[in-house]
Amino acid sequence: MVNQPSLLIVDDEANVALTLKMVFERDGYAVRTANSCASALKLLENGHQFDAVITDLNMEKENIGLEVARAALQLHPKPAVVLCTGYASVDNSAAALQMKVDYMVTKPVDLDELKRAVRRLMAFRDSDPGK
Amino acid sequence: MSEPLKTTKTALVVHSDMSVLSAFQSSFVGKGYVAILARDLPTALLALTQHFFDVAVISSRLAEGGDGWPLAGVVHLIFPKAFVGVLTPETSVLTLQAAINNGVTQIFDAASNPDHVVNTSLSSQPTIPITTSSEPGTSVH
Repeated sequence: MVNQPSLLIVDDEANVALTLKMVFERDGYAVRTANSCASALKLLENGHQFDAVITDLNMEKENIGLEVARAALQLHPKPAVVLCTGYASVDNSAAALQMKVDYMVTKPVDLDELKRAVRRLMAFRDSDPGK
Repeated sequence: MSEPLKTTKTALVVHSDMSVLSAFQSSFVGKGYVAILARDLPTALLALTQHFFDVAVISSRLAEGGDGWPLAGVVHLIFPKAFVGVLTPETSVLTLQAAINNGVTQIFDAASNPDHVVNTSLSSQPTIPITTSSEPGTSVH
C-alpha cells in the first residue's frame, strides 16, 4: 500500500474544511479536519503526525490560527504549515513571518496555488533532513 | 548537494545601488565574512552556482532583471539554513506575504543602516569559530 501524505485542515467553517478535504483527497492525501483551534491542538498534542497543516487564522478568536501554527511548528518532524485567511493584517502577517510559517494564502483561496504550495513545501521538507 | 567543509562564511548582497553594496561589503568584511556582491538578478543567479551562502541580503527592487522576492525564494531553496533578509521600501501585508511565501527570514526597511542589517543577520547564525587561512575578502561581479 502506498504511503499517503497526511494533511490536517483546520477551519471553523465546516463547508470550507469539507471542500478542501475533498480537493486534497482527490489528489491522494489522507486528510483530517478540525473545526476549531482547540480540536486541532488536541490532534497535534495527541501524537498525530501530519506532513502538512493548513489552518484558518480567525476561528474561536481573532488570529487564533497562529496557535495552531505555533503548535505544529514545534513538532518533530515538523509539518509544512500554511495559513489561510481572509483577514491578513500587518500584525498577524509579521507574527507569521517571525514564527517561520511556511506559506500564507488569502481567501478566496486559489486552489491551484494552494495545491502547488503544499506539494512544493512537502517536497522541500522531504529533501531537508534537518526539518 | 552537500555543503563542503569550509572555515569562512559567505554573504550574498544583491542591490542595484553600488553605494549600498559598498556599505554592506564593509560591514560583512568587518565581521570576517566573504561578501559576494551582485547588482542584478542574472549576476546573483550566477553567484548562487559558484558559492555556498550563509547569509543573503537582497533588495526587493532590482533595477534590471526584476524582482528580488523570487530570488530570495531561490536562495532559500538552495540554502535552506541561510539567513535571507530582504530590503523593502514598505512593510505591508503584501510584502510580508511575499516574505513568508519565499522563505525569507526577515524583512528590513530599505533605508536601514547596513550595520544593523548585518548584525541582525549574523546574530541568527550558529556561532562556530571563524578560522581563516586567508583574509576574508570581497568579490564584485
